[in-house]
Amino acid sequence: MHDLGYVAAGYAVTLVTLAGYRWRLALRTRRARRYLSTATGRTTAGRH
Amino acid sequence: MRYVYRALTLLGGHRAQRVMGAATLVGLAATVAIGLFVVPPDAEQGDVQRLMYVHVPAAWVTYLSFGAVFVASIAYLRTGRIQWDRVACASAEIGVRFCALTIVLGALWGRPVWGTWWTWDPRLTTTAVLLLIYVGYLSLRRVADNPIRRARWAAVVGVVGFIDVPIVHMSVVWWRSLHQQATVVRPGAPTIAGSMLATLLLAFVAFSLAYGYLMAVRMRVGRLEDRSALPVSELSTPRARRPRPVQATAVNGSPHHA
Repeated sequence: MHDLGYVAAGYAVTLVTLAGYRWRLALRTRRARRYLSTATGRTTAGRH
Repeated sequence: MRYVYRALTLLGGHRAQRVMGAATLVGLAATVAIGLFVVPPDAEQGDVQRLMYVHVPAAWVTYLSFGAVFVASIAYLRTGRIQWDRVACASAEIGVRFCALTIVLGALWGRPVWGTWWTWDPRLTTTAVLLLIYVGYLSLRRVADNPIRRARWAAVVGVVGFIDVPIVHMSVVWWRSLHQQATVVRPGAPTIAGSMLATLLLAFVAFSLAYGYLMAVRMRVGRLEDRSALPVSELSTPRARRPRPVQATAVNGSPHHA
């Protein structure tokens, strides 16, 4: 039972790492898009 | 169907990228479900051995990422094309995360099995050195101000740093190690049960898809950030009249780069 805590923590860390990085990339995309829109006065096509 | 499409849209931009994102999600979900609830526990280690289905694939993606950095760095040094530098940078950024994840998962596995979170074992030490090399690689990219110089220095580190990858893999063979020997990528047949091997192979596929998907997204982010680092005058010029881009395009040197 004690071992299951390590297993659960391991799987949780893995999923949080992957999702966290994907989230961070989405933020960077949004920031760059916002800057480009402001600089050019045009909206950028596509979601990201 | 609309909601499925909406969910796919959230995964990324292009259609192929969305499909890859969905395949990654399915693969990871299957790995977690089978790894936690379907495969039997190990006869000696019990349930804690289930960490193998995330620890070993994370290590594989670390090798894959730094292998891509190696190939892209050689390609950059040979051709001078900045696109290769972008590939190397993106792959290094992902590789560093997977390398750190491998170390953390190893510590979580080592505590109940070895009785310690960390020991200066050859496999652990060489992996820590690998992480430091590529953290250094990313730091170097921030130090150099000239984009050409940055790309060249980074490419040299990307080639030289890869030397540690085979050392990490062979460390359990070359030196006396607390870490177990390779069970899949080894001379001869794998030494684990069929159901465990099948789950592990599924996890390899899922993690490789995750790498491919993150690379695709990261490359798009890199292109956007490079564009946003250009002078505003160039940004507002229509693409057709814009002067041909020279190699001095800032690669991830924009203020947006995190």
